[in-house]
Amino acid sequence: MKKQYLIVLIFAGLLTIFNACQKGTAYKALIVTGQNNHNWKSSSPILQQVLEQTGLFTAEIAKSPEKGGDMNTFNPDFSKYSVIVIDYNGDSWSEKTKTAFVDYVNNGGGVVVYHAGDNTFPEWKEYNLMIGLGGWGDRNEKDGPYMYYRHDSLIVDSSAGRGGNHGKRHEFEIKARNTEHPIIKGLPQRWIHGADELYAQLRGPGKNMEILASAYSDTAKGGTGRDEPLLMALSYGKGRIFHTALGHADEDGGPALECVGFITTFQRGAEWAASGKVTQKVPYDFPTMTGSSLRPDFKELTLEGDLAKIAQYDITKSTKYFSDLQSRIRYEAKTPADFQIFEKQMIKVLESADASDDGKKLLIREISWMGSELSIPVLQELAKREQLKDVAEFALARLQPAK
Amino acid sequence: MLDKSTRRDFLKRSATVATGALILPQIIPSTALGMGGKLPPSDRIVMGAIGVGSQGTGNMREFLKFNQVQFVSVCDVDAKHATNAKGMADKTYKNTDCRTYGDYREFLEKEKLDAVTIALPDHWHGLIYTAAANKKLDVYGEKPICRTIKDGQTIVNAVEKNKIIWQTGSWQRSQSNFHHAVELVRNGRIGKIKHIEVGLPNGNKGIGTPPVKEVPAELNWEMWLGPALKVPYRGVSHWDWRWILDYSGGQLTDWAGHHIDIANWGAELEHTGPIEISGEGVYPRDGIFNVPVEYDFLCKYANGIEMRVANSARLVHGGGATWYGEKGWINVDRGRIEASDPKILQEVIGPNEIQIYKSNNHYQNFLDCIKSREETITPIQVAYRAISVALLGEIAMTTGKKIQWDPAKEEIIGNPAASRLLSRPYRQPWSLPTI
Repeated sequence: MKKQYLIVLIFAGLLTIFNACQKGTAYKALIVTGQNNHNWKSSSPILQQVLEQTGLFTAEIAKSPEKGGDMNTFNPDFSKYSVIVIDYNGDSWSEKTKTAFVDYVNNGGGVVVYHAGDNTFPEWKEYNLMIGLGGWGDRNEKDGPYMYYRHDSLIVDSSAGRGGNHGKRHEFEIKARNTEHPIIKGLPQRWIHGADELYAQLRGPGKNMEILASAYSDTAKGGTGRDEPLLMALSYGKGRIFHTALGHADEDGGPALECVGFITTFQRGAEWAASGKVTQKVPYDFPTMTGSSLRPDFKELTLEGDLAKIAQYDITKSTKYFSDLQSRIRYEAKTPADFQIFEKQMIKVLESADASDDGKKLLIREISWMGSELSIPVLQELAKREQLKDVAEFALARLQPAK
Repeated sequence: MLDKSTRRDFLKRSATVATGALILPQIIPSTALGMGGKLPPSDRIVMGAIGVGSQGTGNMREFLKFNQVQFVSVCDVDAKHATNAKGMADKTYKNTDCRTYGDYREFLEKEKLDAVTIALPDHWHGLIYTAAANKKLDVYGEKPICRTIKDGQTIVNAVEKNKIIWQTGSWQRSQSNFHHAVELVRNGRIGKIKHIEVGLPNGNKGIGTPPVKEVPAELNWEMWLGPALKVPYRGVSHWDWRWILDYSGGQLTDWAGHHIDIANWGAELEHTGPIEISGEGVYPRDGIFNVPVEYDFLCKYANGIEMRVANSARLVHGGGATWYGEKGWINVDRGRIEASDPKILQEVIGPNEIQIYKSNNHYQNFLDCIKSREETITPIQVAYRAISVALLGEIAMTTGKKIQWDPAKEEIIGNPAASRLLSRPYRQPWSLPTI
């Protein structure tokens, strides 16, 4: 018995080491940038950070020569990567580089087209097949039809006119259009996106393309009055392309990039483009139809971070850290023992003299249903305080129903 | 309360007499016949209203159309609401007689009524429905009839014990398309029911975290909160209480008394509940509104039927109740009835088939039942079973767990944490009576 147990242990140990080696090296990503009418110097490092924080990617940045430079010197070895991110809107690549890119995609390489990445290369037919829809660069009816939704029906409109437009930057509601696609599955059906340019009037071949999400381009914001496609999944040869028209970058990033909706769909889209599947879970701070959700430092929330913020909470502040805690309890705690892991951390805040009463009130409400006898002493203590009496009694009534 | 039941008996008796010949001498002096052809006092139903905001005055407006109703008093924690409602009654009767109250306890103590119409935020239903029933008043009560399962059980007990007539504001039952759909389903026109989908409105928008404000002079905020936990006033009371979990479960619980109720009616699930509930909600990430804005849960019943309840955007048929039978489906929503085969809708229900309780006017149905002492089209027990589905779904989504429910004992099985969510403790000095 003992020997078998040891073998199991060794095997488990090897598996852990194997997993550790896998982590972070599952996929290599290359962010292609260096020319853009947008702030590529801010966006590319953010995209790199966001990809690497999934634990699935190592990401590198390939900078092209400056505008007007010798593009013959720009020859990334695409074949070394699982996914190429296009944060580029500039001079044409050399024929050699174009051919290498087409070969890469044809052979099953993944691509993520990011924001103004759908502005570039209007003359390059193969590239436009990959992105499906594009804008600006004198794109018009010669490049393909407009695509948009009217009353939830997809309209393919070949009428004459410019390709590419956007109104003022603003927050807008994104509507999932294909809820079964791996990138979208499990996300809310609607969510509010951080203030961004809402690309409109994109047009192109639109072949082998699934529209994953769209947003209404409001005429009051200088938009088209159409429901415009913003997230697309395409195939080209054996390759997969995720096209996000979102994510307009300021010098320091800004709300469109800080938006958890942007970050999450970008991360999921990159994994799908690299592998055809999505293994990432939907983060608890994903926005909903009630409002946007931003991450000022692009980092995911943590339980410790949540509790630290809740301990400083007052009723004028954001409740997002508490919402995050609630989601963790809802989805991560499976057994009463799991509940107690959370409860013990929450009790520490309740016992802390530094923690605010408003923060304690939030925690006590949650403890009222998921807590246990562990919380009773601290609740009895807090019930002696005028500020916390009602809510502590509320929780005690639930935890000690006999009384 | 003896005089009250005597009075009821008299109402009932005179109704019977009216259908026969006039045998008894006419004991009501003709001077009691008011202006505009009003009925004599003995035939009138004396009513008051508790909660006269938008829904409360809406109900009052309907009742004021009936000659047999005499509205004598209104009660609201917002003095402007009360004054406005008094104005409606006084205008109808061309007098200034309607009395106003700010505290329902005083209202119930002083007023001598036959019936009361009640439209309040859900967190007040447990106390005030029970208090009205204990006063032996017949009640037209707004859905959802309770904020928690425990509140609901208490209200049902109070209504049954006091033998009052109860009508729920589930007015879709008195609409012909819903009646038609239910009658077709009950008579097997789509075969044996396999599963049901109930689509309720998509969630509300957020308003973030509005600043704390001074309570308006006309509003008794302490009384508005009542048994709920004390929170500062932020200008959110009327109407928008619907998006805060302390007072409501959002669109889900608001609409349970409509489409879940209709679904139960058609599938004969009105007197039972699911045995297993599981699903997920999408909750706002920030701000004071915290009800789920998207929701999707599945209820399994002992007879094998499954009912999916979701925000309408998630369902093929969108809103309303959809029954899927072995032979087809029927979907019914406001202003609409559709079927897998349009011929199903042309089917006529024969005299020997199942005839469903018919009402053409939800308010009239209540008034008729006050006189006849018959059950209304939406008695308390079925209203309780409709909201129970939503409240159990809410618990499954809150806890993120699959809930096992015993619909006969009305208990959650083997999940103490979830069981705690079956009630909301009341803030002192309020407490829910045991009945």
